[in-house]
Amino acid sequence: MRVELNELTKRWGNVTGADNITLDIRSGEFVAFLGPSGCGKTTTLLMVAGIYKPTAGEIRFDDRVVNQVAPKDRNIGMVFQSYALYPHMSVRQNIGYPLKLKKSPASEMEQRVQRVADMMGIGHLLDRRPAQLSGGQQQRVALGRALVKEPSLLLFDEPLSNLDARLRLTMRSEIKRLQLDLGITSIYVTHDQVEAMTMADRIAVMQEGKLQAYAPPNELYERPRTIFIAGFVGNPPMNLFDVQVLREGERLLARRQNLEIELPPERGGRAAGKEEIIAGVRPEDISLIPGAAGSSEGAQGEVFVVEPLGRDNLVDVRIDDLHLFVLADPRQPLKIGDPVRLHFDGDKVQLFDPETELSLLWT
Amino acid sequence: MSTNLTESATQPLGAGRGRWLLLAAGLVLVGCFILPWLSFVITADQRVALSLTGLQAATIGLVETTDGGLLYRSSFWLFLAPLAGVVGLALGALNLFPGRSAPWQGLLALFISVASAVAVWGAFAASQEVAQKEKVAVEAQWGLSVAFIALLLLLVGALILLREASSQKPAFRAALDALNFMTPGTVLVIVFFFLPAIILFILSLTDLSSANFSEPWTYVGFDNYKRMFSDRFFPKILRNTFQYVALTLLFFNVGLALLLALLTAHVSRRVGFLFRLLWLLPRITPSVVYIVMWQRIAQQPPYGILNQFLGWLGVENQPYWIPEAPWVFVVLVNGFVGASFGMIIFTSAIEAIPADLIIAAKVDGAGDLALIRDITLPLLRWPLLFVVTYQTLSLLVSFEYILLLTNGGPGLFTTEVWALTAYKRALQTYFGSNQWAYGAAWGFVLVLIGAILSVIYLRVFRFNDLVQEPKIDVL
Ligand SMILES: Nc1ncnc2c1ncn2[C@@H]1O[C@H](COP(=O)(O)OP(=O)(O)OP(=O)(O)O)[C@@H](O)[C@H]1O
Ligand SMILES: [Mg+2]
Repeated sequence: MRVELNELTKRWGNVTGADNITLDIRSGEFVAFLGPSGCGKTTTLLMVAGIYKPTAGEIRFDDRVVNQVAPKDRNIGMVFQSYALYPHMSVRQNIGYPLKLKKSPASEMEQRVQRVADMMGIGHLLDRRPAQLSGGQQQRVALGRALVKEPSLLLFDEPLSNLDARLRLTMRSEIKRLQLDLGITSIYVTHDQVEAMTMADRIAVMQEGKLQAYAPPNELYERPRTIFIAGFVGNPPMNLFDVQVLREGERLLARRQNLEIELPPERGGRAAGKEEIIAGVRPEDISLIPGAAGSSEGAQGEVFVVEPLGRDNLVDVRIDDLHLFVLADPRQPLKIGDPVRLHFDGDKVQLFDPETELSLLWT
Repeated sequence: MSTNLTESATQPLGAGRGRWLLLAAGLVLVGCFILPWLSFVITADQRVALSLTGLQAATIGLVETTDGGLLYRSSFWLFLAPLAGVVGLALGALNLFPGRSAPWQGLLALFISVASAVAVWGAFAASQEVAQKEKVAVEAQWGLSVAFIALLLLLVGALILLREASSQKPAFRAALDALNFMTPGTVLVIVFFFLPAIILFILSLTDLSSANFSEPWTYVGFDNYKRMFSDRFFPKILRNTFQYVALTLLFFNVGLALLLALLTAHVSRRVGFLFRLLWLLPRITPSVVYIVMWQRIAQQPPYGILNQFLGWLGVENQPYWIPEAPWVFVVLVNGFVGASFGMIIFTSAIEAIPADLIIAAKVDGAGDLALIRDITLPLLRWPLLFVVTYQTLSLLVSFEYILLLTNGGPGLFTTEVWALTAYKRALQTYFGSNQWAYGAAWGFVLVLIGAILSVIYLRVFRFNDLVQEPKIDVL
C-alpha cells in the first residue's frame, strides 16, 4: 500500500508536534523517521495510525484520504517501545486479539496464531503471560500481534530501544528480513541513526516538527542538504567549522588560521570569495600523520584525547581553538600532546551557507 | 515562566503557611473530635459509653468512681496492662534483642507474658472492687476492657513463644518472618476489628439492657439469638437488607460509579474533574442536610421541587413522594452518595492504564465498546473487587440515611434494614428500654455475614490470581 502525507500538521494550543510534513511512501517501502527526542516522530506516526486527528493536511492510503477513518478500519499493525502487550491475556490471546476483533473463525485463528508465533520463534511460549517473558520475547510477541492480521501498513515506534545492544542487532536484521519477505509497507520511528541507516530504504529526518530531509541513507550521508542533517547523520558526527573560501591563482582554498584545505573547483565554485562559510568533514575523510611535517597543506595540531573504538581510534585533535575528530588506525601509537599533521580529502568536504544553513553543493 | 510554575507546584508549603495550616487542622480535630469525646467522658453517659470501645468505657468507669485510693489503684493497673502489652509487642515483633540466644529470648517472652497476665488480673480485680464499692454495673464495661486487653496480651505472648519455639526450624521460621512483616497490619486488625467483634459477642450473650443495668448482668446463652431468629419481622428485614445492598451496589456504587468514571475519563481533563467534583457534593454534605434536601425535592405541592416541575407539565395533585415509593428513594439517596467512592477509584485506575495499551488495542481493531470490554474492564478487575467488597460491607452496616429518611417506614418495617434494627434495639429508646445485649446479637450476626461475604468475594474474584508473583524470592 502506498502512503502519502500532505502538509500534515498537528498542534495542541501553541505546541506544535508536527509541522507541515509532506512525503510519500511507495508500496512495500521501508521508511525510517529519524530525529532527536521531541521532534514529532511519534506524533506523525500516531496521525498515520489514526490515534491523533491532524490539525491540518491529509493522509492518503493508496488514493483514499483516510483522515476520517477510525484506527480499527485502517488495517495497520503497530509495535511499541513499551511492547504494549495486554497483561491480562496470554501470549496466544495477545497475538490472536486482532483476529478475534475481526471475528475470524476459531480454527483459522488458532492456525494463524501458531504460524505467526512459529515464524517469530515463540511457538513454545503461547500459554504464558507477558509478565513471564523476557524483553526480547515480549517484543517478538508484539511483532507477531502486529503481523497476524496481515496488515497493509506496519508502524514501529522505537521497538528496539528497550533491548540490549546485542539483541537489538539480531532483532534489527530479523525485522528487516521479515519486512522484505512480506513486502509490507513500513514506517519505523527511531532516534538511533544506525538503525535508520541499516534498515530503511529512505529516511525522513525530522527536527522540531519539520521534515528536514527525505532521502535514501547513502544520499543523506554523502549529500547532506542542511547543516542539521550533516551534523545529525553519521557516527561519529561530522566536524563542522567556519572557513573562508579563497582563490589563489588556479587553486581554491578553504582556510582558517593554520588550517588549509584545497577544494576541487567544481565543489568550491559557489563558495568562492565568501568570507564566512561552514565547512564539514567527516572523521573518516581526514588522515592523520604523526609528527610535524613542513607542508602548508592541511593543518598542524596536537592530540587532545584518544578514544579507542576497537576497529578505529577516535582522536580529538586540537588546532588552536578548534577541535576536530579524526578516525585513525589504532596501530598508530598516539599519546596525548603528540604533534600530528592532518590531511583533508577535498573531494569529501561539505560547504554550507551559515545564514540559510543550506548546503552550497546540493541545494 | 513555565519552570517557575512547575517549581511552585511541586514545592512543599512555605514554612510559615504550613505551620498555620497544621494549627488549623489541629484545632479542627480538637473541635470536632476530642472535645465532644471529652464531654462524653466527663458526663459519663452510659449509652455513649457502650457505643465506645471497651477501653473507653473503662475510662468512664474510672471517672465515675468516687473513692480516691481505689481510683488510683485501678488506674495504675489499667495503664500498666496495655503498657506491658505494648512492650511485649515491640519486643516480639521487632526482635529488639537480636544477639541473645533462643533460651534467653524464651525466658524474656515468658517474663513479659507473666507480667502482662499479672497486670490484667490486677486491673480485673480493681474493677471488681470498683463495682462493689460503687454498687453500679460498670462491671460489664470493666469486663469488656479486661477481655480486650487480656486477648491482646495472650496473642503477644503466644506470638513470642511461637517465635522462640520455632527458631530451630528454618521453614517454620521463614513463615513466621513473613508474618512479622505484617505485624503493623495485624495489630490494627486485631485492635479495631477482632477485639470489638469479640466484645460484641460477649455482650450479646448477656441480658444487659436499660431495664436492668443497675444490677450485675447475667449470662443468658443464646437467648438473644433465638429471639432474633424467631422475630416475626426477621424475614422481612433480611429481604430488605439484601434488596438495599444489592440494588444500591449494582446500580449506583458500582454501576453508576463505573459509568461516571468511563465518561469522565473520555472528556477533557478539566471538564471531567469538575464533573467528578460535583458528584462528591452529596458525600460531603452533612447527612441531615442532605436528607432534608431530598425531602424538599419530594414534598407535596406547592413545596416540592419535583411536584412543581410536574405541575408545569400539567400533572396536578401529586403526593409526597417518599412514602409513595420509599424504596426508590432509599436506593437513590444512598446511591448518590455511594457512587462517588467507586468513581474516584475507577477514574484513577483508568488513568493509570498505559496509553500504549489503548493505542495498541485501537490499532488492533477495537472499537470503543470492545476497548472497554477487552482492555479497560479486565484491567479494572482489582479496583472492581475492592469497590464491590468494600461497598457491600459499608452498605450492610450503614443505616443513617434510612434512619433520617424513612426511619424504616412507612408503616411497619417497610424499609427497615438489619443495621437499623440493631441500632434501634440497642440504642434507640423503645418504650424507654434500650436492649443493649439484644442489639449486640443483631450486630454480631451482621459482622459474621460481612466476614463470610468477604471470603466469598475473594474466592469469586480469584484474588490470588490478581496478585503477581513476587519478583524477589524470599530466601
Ligand atoms: N498530547 C500532547 N499534548 C501536547 N503536546 C504534545 C503531545 N504529544 C506530544 N506533544 C509534543 O509534541 C512534540 C513532539 O512529540 P513526539 O512525541 O512526537 O516526539 P518524538 O519525536 O516521538 O520524541 P521521542 O523520540 O522522545 O519519542 C513534543 O514537543 C511534545 O512535547
Ligand atoms: Mg516518540
